[in-house]
Amino acid sequence: MNTQRLSRRQRALLNCAPISEERIRDRSMRSALFRASNSNEFANQRSFDRAVASLVGAIPIPPETAEWFSKKELIATPGRTWKKTARNPAALAIGIAVVVIAGVFVFQLLGRLNDFPGSATARKLLTIAGSTRSVLLDPVNADAGTLSDLFFMKHGLEHYDVPEEFADFPTIGCRVFDDDESRRIAQIWVTEKRMQFFLFPAERDVKTGAVLGFPGWRYVHQEGWVGAVTEHNGVCFMAALRGGERDLAPYIFKSKE
Amino acid sequence: MLGDARKAQEIFETTLREAAQRAAHGELPKEPFWLFREARWRCLEASKTSLEAEPLELDQHDLTPQASSQIEQLEPTQLAIWISGAPEPQRTALALFYLDEFDYREILDLTELKPGELSRLLALGRRQFQAWLNTRISDKPAL
Repeated sequence: MNTQRLSRRQRALLNCAPISEERIRDRSMRSALFRASNSNEFANQRSFDRAVASLVGAIPIPPETAEWFSKKELIATPGRTWKKTARNPAALAIGIAVVVIAGVFVFQLLGRLNDFPGSATARKLLTIAGSTRSVLLDPVNADAGTLSDLFFMKHGLEHYDVPEEFADFPTIGCRVFDDDESRRIAQIWVTEKRMQFFLFPAERDVKTGAVLGFPGWRYVHQEGWVGAVTEHNGVCFMAALRGGERDLAPYIFKSKE
Repeated sequence: MLGDARKAQEIFETTLREAAQRAAHGELPKEPFWLFREARWRCLEASKTSLEAEPLELDQHDLTPQASSQIEQLEPTQLAIWISGAPEPQRTALALFYLDEFDYREILDLTELKPGELSRLLALGRRQFQAWLNTRISDKPAL
């Protein structure tokens, strides 16, 4: 076989045939080399190329240049900048996760800061307030403050007193029911801003049975409702209405005055 | 590439220094062989400012089986000077090819030549070098 029988393209490839076998990376080159393997012309080229390459390899490298290659780290890899790190998808994902976890933690912490003994019950009662219709209550035409006698006489509920700041509001109706923990709850519906009052037993210490009281008024929020809760004689009173703290605050403020 | 060791040394150091600076700033290009391309352009720039030999129509000769023994009698610097005297882009093609570090596709990428051009330039270079060898070195083995 000689190079005369090779195509023009194969001949062009042979002119560029790599000197070292390991640089033969494509099929067309391998095929051209195979076809020319018995050619004297190509054998001359190969030995010529190898001799020249070996001579090139013998060109002395000046010591100043060689020094560059003796350095352990020729080109220092740059330290990762904050910008680059932040753009890394893994870092970004971790960052987002941390922010979300921190957000949940802060949200729960803020929630806990507003907690007080009986706040869980108060929230449940706000849910009840949102779903109660006035027809469910026994119609009563009296001031809210007078209902404590009714609760004591009819249901045996001691100290279920409406605080004086809410005592003068005329009522639409009231009822007494047991919640899911069998606690006796008194519910009063008044005409003022369609407000509802709840009276329920204050939380007690599990071991000693002592009332877990708290001073003044505390606010709770649930599903668009707000409740102002206070504790007196082991009974909690909650005034609830649909809205925010601003709607309830004037009544509490009035009582403080 | 330059036929001048001092200039080559300068270009080598400047290229590597700039590469180190770009690496420090995280601005290293992602394209392969950019360092070699950079070095090549610096060599071409440097050779523009220096005196160049008049382009001559060099003799050509078919490669002979004795070529390798003729080449063995050469000093490496003689070869380096011969290659540096070749016109562009033949000079770059010969320099990169005989460095034996790149395959032909990589040389095409570096030199921005077409395959046919590279092939022609290498073949021509061989034939010219063989002709030069024949005038300088006797192809008869030394007794």
